[in-house]
Parts: sequence; structure tokens; C-alpha cells
Amino acid sequence: MSDPILELRDVSGGYGRGEVLRSVDLTIRAGEQLAVVGPNGAGKSTLLRLMTGLLAPTTGDVRVGGRLLRELGRDEIARRIAVVPQVASLPFSARVEEIVALGRLPHEDPIRGPRPADRAAVAAAIERVGLGRLVGRDARELSLGERQLVLIAVAVAQASPLIILDEPTVHLDIRHQIDVMELLADLNTRDGRTIITVLHDLNLAARSIPRIVVLADGRVVADGPPEEALDGERIRDVFRVDPAVLPAGPWSAPAGRSAHVERG
Amino acid sequence: MTTGSDTVASRAGIALRLPPRRSPILLGAAGVVGLVVALLAGVGFGSVAVAPGDTLGILAHRLFGLDIAQTWPATAETIVWDLRLPRVFEAMIVGLGLSVAGATFQGLLRNPLADPYVLGTASGAALGAAIAVLIPVRIVILEFGLLQGLAFLGALGAVVAVYRLARVGGGAPMTSLLLTGYALGSLLAAGLAMAMYLSGAALRQIFAYLLGSFESASWGRLAGVVPIVLVASAVIVLRARSLNGLLLGEEAAVHLGVDVRRERALLLGLATLITAACVAVSGLIGFVGLVVPHVVRLVVGPNARLVLPLSALAGASLMVAADVVARVLGEVPVGVVTAVIGAPFFLFLLRRTQRGYEL
Amino acid sequence: MPAFLFSLRSRLHRPSRAIAGILILTVLLAACGSAATPRPSSPPDATGSLVPPITATPGPSASAAPAFPVTLTDDDGTKVQLTAEPKKIVSLTPAETEVLFAIDAGDRVVGKVDDPANYPPEADKVPIVGTFAGIDVEKIVGLGADLVIAGGSGGTPQDAIDKLRSLHVPVLVLYAPDVPGVLADIQLTGNAVGRSAEAEALASSMEAGFADLTDAVDVATKPKVFYETGDQPSIYGIADDSVYAQMIELAGGDPVTTGSATNWEMPTEKLIAADPDLIILGDSAYGVTAAAVAKRPGWSGLKAVKSGAIKPIDDIVVTRPGPRLLDGLRLLVAAIHPEIALPSAAPSGG
Repeated sequence: MSDPILELRDVSGGYGRGEVLRSVDLTIRAGEQLAVVGPNGAGKSTLLRLMTGLLAPTTGDVRVGGRLLRELGRDEIARRIAVVPQVASLPFSARVEEIVALGRLPHEDPIRGPRPADRAAVAAAIERVGLGRLVGRDARELSLGERQLVLIAVAVAQASPLIILDEPTVHLDIRHQIDVMELLADLNTRDGRTIITVLHDLNLAARSIPRIVVLADGRVVADGPPEEALDGERIRDVFRVDPAVLPAGPWSAPAGRSAHVERG
Repeated sequence: MTTGSDTVASRAGIALRLPPRRSPILLGAAGVVGLVVALLAGVGFGSVAVAPGDTLGILAHRLFGLDIAQTWPATAETIVWDLRLPRVFEAMIVGLGLSVAGATFQGLLRNPLADPYVLGTASGAALGAAIAVLIPVRIVILEFGLLQGLAFLGALGAVVAVYRLARVGGGAPMTSLLLTGYALGSLLAAGLAMAMYLSGAALRQIFAYLLGSFESASWGRLAGVVPIVLVASAVIVLRARSLNGLLLGEEAAVHLGVDVRRERALLLGLATLITAACVAVSGLIGFVGLVVPHVVRLVVGPNARLVLPLSALAGASLMVAADVVARVLGEVPVGVVTAVIGAPFFLFLLRRTQRGYEL
Repeated sequence: MPAFLFSLRSRLHRPSRAIAGILILTVLLAACGSAATPRPSSPPDATGSLVPPITATPGPSASAAPAFPVTLTDDDGTKVQLTAEPKKIVSLTPAETEVLFAIDAGDRVVGKVDDPANYPPEADKVPIVGTFAGIDVEKIVGLGADLVIAGGSGGTPQDAIDKLRSLHVPVLVLYAPDVPGVLADIQLTGNAVGRSAEAEALASSMEAGFADLTDAVDVATKPKVFYETGDQPSIYGIADDSVYAQMIELAGGDPVTTGSATNWEMPTEKLIAADPDLIILGDSAYGVTAAAVAKRPGWSGLKAVKSGAIKPIDDIVVTRPGPRLLDGLRLLVAAIHPEIALPSAAPSGG
């Protein structure tokens, strides 16, 4: 078992008076791939913000690579964690490679800017996500799927061991959804990156990700492989939906038996 | 950012060709050349004819200390050295300052329509100037009069007020700043209108300030304004990284390692200081701060490390050129010339980029 | 000086600012007179077509004593140093242009400000260095000016004055808020350009002319006079204590003023309440006619409109603080007291 790359111990957090998350314990090891799911309002976004330091926990500790998050500078955090947002707006037109180059911000010389190594990393990241043919194109002209890949390329260029994605498939068609999930799995298996993805699509999560964390009402109610975390009872309790209406998944197995789900 | 580094990429084992934008070094050199040409034009033109040879001789003698036979009349030397040259330098520094401030505001507020006056600087300065005109007191400190002082304070005061009012929680989010700036600007403009109404015969003075001019430039004023604008601009350029980080948004910038709250306050403060210094000496000259960074960005991309210095050069040259045109046309206000030059050129460039990807 | 005594005596029973003014003027003239060395007495020289022959004062001619270098105090209180007699003079107010030509310094005027009245005709060929839009400092420097006479109280932009002074060009700022001030400025100009004697002659002859005129209109009835200075966007009259008000009083009228020293707008209600006997159109140069005035809503009930007592006047001559001010007074007297025969002493050039 590899070392923990991100640990939350008894973490609570929220905005204003209410606590959105309560007593969350979570340990993620290097090289894992994990999905966070849950109904609206469960606290998924809050969890992301606590993990990345955008929000300070009211109780408990967050540790990255063994070090307390609150003791790290913003640039140190950026070298350890990359965050891929759902969507980003661009006020000015920019080429694909200019956007991907932003991923090198935590690494480049603050005054002189990118060095040859940085430029190479950008080129490599673009190739890695399969956008080589889009180099030189204005990012504003890309399709939503291509833009999502650009944002992932930024995280790849950032060369951080941990990548956190916030609902990367929301605006994508089925083809691009599968492309993104395959890319993430590839980054995990080939490059050894730790990937945490917040997903709303249970099917997508169950099919491709080995570890599912289910959030409900600010607590972790399940943490394990899909067939355990997303069985029929859980679906009924947490998502308040009759599993029969869902497409086939781990919840389709009759109660008491877990179904082996084909991955791929 | 990448600049034609295909050889590097292939060294890294990747056959990826990243097409370059126009070479920034070439553009920089062109900018410097343009600036020199603008300076010579600015010093060579005026209502009194000075022979070009005399002009160059005076410059060589006074500017570079070269020992040449002084064959020109003393009045020519006074005109070139004491009247035209300070004016040209003031135009340069104001053009430089407004362009850098404009580029900074556009990057900070992530809004291509932002200009140095977007947070109420113009209205604050104008109101300060109008009040100074109405007060029948004459104070002159180191060649800066009451008008310059109150315009400067008015500009700074407006932005401080906007920042305070726009604060939500710990920092001031960009949309909040923009909207508050707009609201306060309107309020100050109403105050200005009232002051103008009450001004009677002094209206002309207030109006002259609003339209902007470099007529009252002097070496003494330059000594006050140039250090402020140059130092503040240099600090902004050194922090170009933060502006780049904001390209994808404030949260994205935080995730890329930028201390957004600190950088926003710092860059806002510096850009406002530059703008206040410029409007204090030259009045309200519009368009340069909006158009120049935008045009530069269309050519070299959004990288602030390139946009800021190139905007500074281009803005300085443009302002000198506008002042020359204003003088040649018979002391038309500079602000009118900058609008007439800036707007059509901007439209032309925009149309070009709508059509294709290459510039 | 007998002329002074004569005017003072005749004014004793008329409380007027003029007394104080004339006293000040006298002190000034006396001071100038005592400062100069004794001059040979000779018949008064022609110092210009505007000045009537002086009856009582011996006309001094150019002084033989050196008048430069000299330090003069201008109307802003600034001490202006002139090291030698100025050879290239620039005049930044139309009034000063008239004064310079009137005291025989016109040949040394190398630059002037644009003058809508274009007076005197000899000044026509002088190059223009400024308009209402601004002063061309560069041109002034290029002409090699060694004396610039500017208008105070915002008449000439302060920036231009400061700029010229920073380039070591002497600038004399003149501003006359009243009739005695005009005469004092004429004297100051004369001292600045080495024509003190001519200036003194002009000033005293003007002073005598004023005295003659004010005596002639020393009548019991003083008609109420509304002097209109503009009609766009609203009706403009004359401010309290302005030169206009003074001149009308000197011309034997009772001026209707706006009620404020700074606001020149005349509220129509105030005007109707005052119901002037005479309306003088100072804005006639802009096309305002008696017929147009009569048609204004609410004005038809005014005494002056009903009796047709609406008269145009050359506003420039009435108020230009220069040699023709006396002519202006004559024009006012002619308008306000047409029944009085004006003293024939002044062949006016206006």
C-alpha cells in the first residue's frame, strides 16, 4: 500500500452558520482512482473546496502528502494538487497551447517565465490528451468536449501527483464522456497519477472507477468498490430512486448479492 | 508561453509543432523605433518653424551633452527644450501609464472592455479638478497646483471608496468591483455636473481639463510623475505571472498557485496610482488605455509578460503621435484625437480576427 | 491740479464711489508725478486721436531720465522686473492692445490676442498669438517677446502666464474691476513700456473727460436702466458692483442688477418687478433687436417695451477697459439722457 496522498481526518466545514460537511474521514493513497458521488446538496463541492484549501475546515485536519494543508503556501499546494473545473470562460482569445501553458505557473520562474523544460511539458501535455491537431487554434472556437480536454491538459502540464476533477462530464456527449473517462484511467494507470473525480453520472462512475465515495447530507455513507458502495439499497436510501428505473449497474443485482460489473 | 519551440519539443521526443505568434523581440524593437520617430516628430512640430537641423542640434547638445557649434537662435532652443520636449515626454509617460493600467485592469477584471477609468478614477479626478477650479485659492507646490493635487486625490479616493463598498467577505470580487465602480462613477459625475453648473466663467477651465492636454507640461512636473508611473509599471510587469493566472478565472488562479486576494489588491492599487498620476497632469484622455492593450493582445496573445511592456511602448508612441496631430490641427484636444485614431483602427483589427485565426 | 479740484467740488453733493476712486487715482498720479524728475514744459503732444486737448494740466513729454530697470507690481500683486525698455511687447487683452497703440508704443507690439472689434486699425497687421481658445506660448517665445501684458482674473489662462514666467519672460497681469482701476492700469502700462508721460496724459485727459461728462449728467432724475448682456440660454443682465453698474451710475442712470455679485443671470420676475425705464441691448451684436425683445413672453407689460425705450449699444466700447472707455460713457449718456447736450470736448475715435 502506497503512502496516503490526501487525508481528511474528522473534517467539518461549511459557509456561514450551517455546517455542510460533518466529520468526514477519508484517506486516499497515491495512485488511487476515486469517484465522489451524491445527490444535490450532499456537500460534494464543499468537499472539493476543503480538499484544495479553498475553504478552511472548522474542525479536523486536511493533510496533503503528510503535510498539513493550512501550513502550505498556495504555490506549494498547486505543485501537489491540480484542479480541473467544469468549465472556464475566457475573456480574451487565447490559443490552446497558451492556455495549457498556464499549468506551468507553479513551476516557471516567477520573473523570467517559462523555460525550455516548461515548454516541453506543455507540448507533452497537449499530446497526452490527444489534442495535437488543435495546436494554434483559438480556444474559444473549440467544442465543449475539446475545451474540457484542454482543461485536463492544463492539469497534466501542472505535473501534480494528484488531480481533482469537478464533474468533468457534465456538458459532454456520450462519446466525449467515454473519451474523458478513458483518459483519466490512462493517466492513473500509465502515469501513476491519483485521480479524484466528482461525478453525477452513477453509471459512468460505476463502470470505470474502482473506488466510490458516496456523500449524503454532509457525511460519507459509503466508501468502497462500486458493487458495495452503490448497491440497490444505497440507491434507494441516498438517491431516493427505484434502482429498477436505472440502466444496468451494481444496483441491478438482487438484494444480498453483488453483481460483477464489466469494466472497460 | 510557447514561441515556436518545435525543436525543443522534438528534443523531448515529441513531434509537435507549436506555431509561433509574431516574434515579441521584433515587435519590441519596432516599438522602440516607433517611439524614437514619435519623439522626433513631437519635437519637430509646432506653431513656430524650427529648422530640422537646429532641432537635432539642440537635442544632441542638451540631451546628450554633445559639444556642437550652436548655430541656432536662443528662442529656438527655449522652444525645443523648455516647451516641446517636456510636452513630448509627458505624452510618453501618460501614454505608457494609461496603457499599462488599462492592460492591468483588463486582466484583473477579466473584461476586455475595461479601461483605466473603469473604477471611477475619471469621475473622481474630474470632480477633484472642478472643486479646485471653484476654490479661489492658489497653491503651488513644486510646480503642481491645487488642480493637480485634488485631481490626484479624487482619483485615488474614488477607487478606495469603490474597493471598500465592493468588499464581500475578505476580498472584493471582480463583478462587485465593476458594478460598484459604475455606480460610484455615476454619482461623482452628477457632482461634477453640479460643479460645472455653478462654475460660471470658470467652466472653460474645467472643460479644458476634461478634454485633456499636455500644454502645461514642464520638467518639474515630469520629475514628479515619471518616477511614480515608471516604478509602479515596473512592479506590475514583474507580477505579470499573477495576471496570467487569472485568465481562466479567480478560482482557477488560486488552484494554479496565485494568492489572488493579495495580488488583486496590489495590482489594483498600482494601476490606480498610475492612472491617478496621469490624469492629474494631463486631464482625462480616453481610448488609449482601452485600445492599446487590446490591440497588442490581438497580435501577441494574452501573455501579460508580453502585453504589458509592448502596450507601454505602443501607448507612449501613440500618445505622442496624437499630441502632434492635435497640435498640427490647431490645438484640438488630445482626447478627441485619441478617439478618432483609436476607434477605427480597433474596429479594423477586430474585423480581421473575426475572419480567420491567423493575424 | 485744478481739474481735479474742479471735479471734486462738483461731486460733493453726490455720494458716489467715484469720489473714493478719483482720490485713489489722484494719489497714484501724484506719486508718479513726484517720482519723475522735472520735465520741460511743452504743449501736449498728440498721443492719439482719442485724447482731447488738455486744458489745465501741463502736458509732459518724454522724460529725459532713465526709467529702466524698474520693478513694477501688477494687479495680481506680483513684482515684475524689467531690466530694459521692452522692444517686443505682446498684448493678451484687446484693451491693452488699444492702450499700447494709444500711448505711442504700437510700433513695438509684436503679438496680440484676437480681437473681435479689431481696434485700432493700425493693429490689424500684428500677428495673433492667442484666441479665446488658448494662448500660443510657443509663438510668443518664438517672437522673442520681452514683455507680455496679460488679463487677470482668468482673462488669460493662469497656466500660460506661469509657463511664460518660468521661461523668464516678464508678464504683467492687469485687471481693472472699476473705472479708476482702468486709469491706473493705463498708467502702469505706460511705466512698463517707457511711455509714462504719454500714459499720464491719456489717463488725466480721460479723467477730465469723465469729470465733464458726470457733471453734465448731474440731474435729479435717474432712469432705471436694464442693461442686457445676453439672451441665451436665459436672460443675462449685469452683476452687482460690476463695471457695468458703475458706468451706468456715472452716466446718470440707476442700474437694475441681478442681485448677486457673481451670477449674471437676470430672473425675469425680478426684472418685471423692477420695471426699468430703459432697456439697453448690450447683446445687439449677437442679433438681438428691439422688436425681438418686445415679443418675449411676459415682457409686453414692461414700461420700457410699451414706450419703445429699447436701445442697442456697442457693448465693446462700453466696457473695454482701455482708452475708449470714455467713449463708452458717452454712448451710455446718449442712451440714458438723450436730452442732455454732451460736452463737445471729446472728439471720439470710437
